[in-house]
Amino acid sequence: MFVRWCVGLALLLVICFISPTSAQDRAYFVTYDHYLEEPGNLEIAVATTTGMPKRDQPAYTAPWLELEYGLTGWWTGELYLEGVTTRGNGDAFTGWRFENRFRPLKSEHRINPVIYVEYENINEASRIQKEIVGAGGLEFDPIAELKDEHAHELEVKLILSSAVGDWNVAENLIVERNLSKSEGFEFGYALGVSRPLGTIASGTSCRFCRENVRLGAELYGGLGSSVEFARSEQRHFLAPVVNWNLGNRISVKASVGFGLTDTTDRYLLRFGLAYEFPVRSR
Amino acid sequence: MRTMAIVAFACVVTAIGALANESHTHRERTWVAPAAVDSMQNPLKNRPETGAGGQKLFRQRCSICHADDGTGAKPGPNLMLRRVQQQSDGAFFWKISSGNTRTGMPGFSFLPRLQRWQLVKHLRSLAEPTQPRMLSPAKTKR
Repeated sequence: MFVRWCVGLALLLVICFISPTSAQDRAYFVTYDHYLEEPGNLEIAVATTTGMPKRDQPAYTAPWLELEYGLTGWWTGELYLEGVTTRGNGDAFTGWRFENRFRPLKSEHRINPVIYVEYENINEASRIQKEIVGAGGLEFDPIAELKDEHAHELEVKLILSSAVGDWNVAENLIVERNLSKSEGFEFGYALGVSRPLGTIASGTSCRFCRENVRLGAELYGGLGSSVEFARSEQRHFLAPVVNWNLGNRISVKASVGFGLTDTTDRYLLRFGLAYEFPVRSR
Repeated sequence: MRTMAIVAFACVVTAIGALANESHTHRERTWVAPAAVDSMQNPLKNRPETGAGGQKLFRQRCSICHADDGTGAKPGPNLMLRRVQQQSDGAFFWKISSGNTRTGMPGFSFLPRLQRWQLVKHLRSLAEPTQPRMLSPAKTKR
């Protein structure tokens, strides 16, 4: 049901061609840079993570809906609703997340810090993998069993991001704490680089111009926890990403994440569609 | 119960943020670029073919706050004002790149440098008295 709802919303976004303003240019799925949502703007996005496990476990697709709102120039709030569907292993609504990003400095610096605080009310069937922390692979028990194991988690990130020439370079350090059970503090990271294909804007309105495309790559993974820090259990992914700004406030992005360790899925395919519009004057 | 408390806390925090945003744009009247950027020269100064791209970028990125003709809309200031146009190209470039989180002006350092210079070039063209500009229907005298 949740999956169908997300697909319906995606179609609605595609047909909403209203005005000539631009959508956001963030290329990454996991890594955050220092650009917050413009104050008064709401971004509605639907995205999916499709995992292809290495062994005989069933493939899965985890869709999520994202509502991102610029509260002020230094504060962006975001709500996520997420689900999962698998091939023959069940499907479920897997919970919600509420995140806040704060940018403490007034203007641009060589390195721009952003503080990220998120509360997650999810269950163990969650597969969107917006971040990867801790150690060990995903659990592949039936979704019906996993969805009954609830987890309240608090996640904090230190986001460091820089504009280097035409490139963006971003580093995220992640600490997560499960408030439901004692798992210690779990650690993760994400690194991203990206740049637009075209460096000068053409004078005509065009969807297929190089200037509308941003390419990049991200490296992300879980490092372990304060309880367990086994290198063999770590998960790392390397993922090329592409973001295409279609104009009319709509952008699409896609990535293929390649699992680099034994405990990772073989691939993580991600696809996202975002629509951004002002909901109040700034 | 704990979940409800967290949700309630999140709602209160969000409301405070929204209220804070209502007043912060009036707090900072002066925003001055570092003096060092005044010596920066626009590399596109002698490339008139890049002007149309600057206009397109301005409409995409800036007109929602500054209006299509740069005369300003809430909360973006009028970019035609003498005190705005008196700034150097370097100051424009710095402000476009940096943004100001306290006034809500987004930073555009994610745009390539040349695109930011295209925006500077367009800002300058807005104030050129010799360049005929289309008046919006609401401002056209009948």
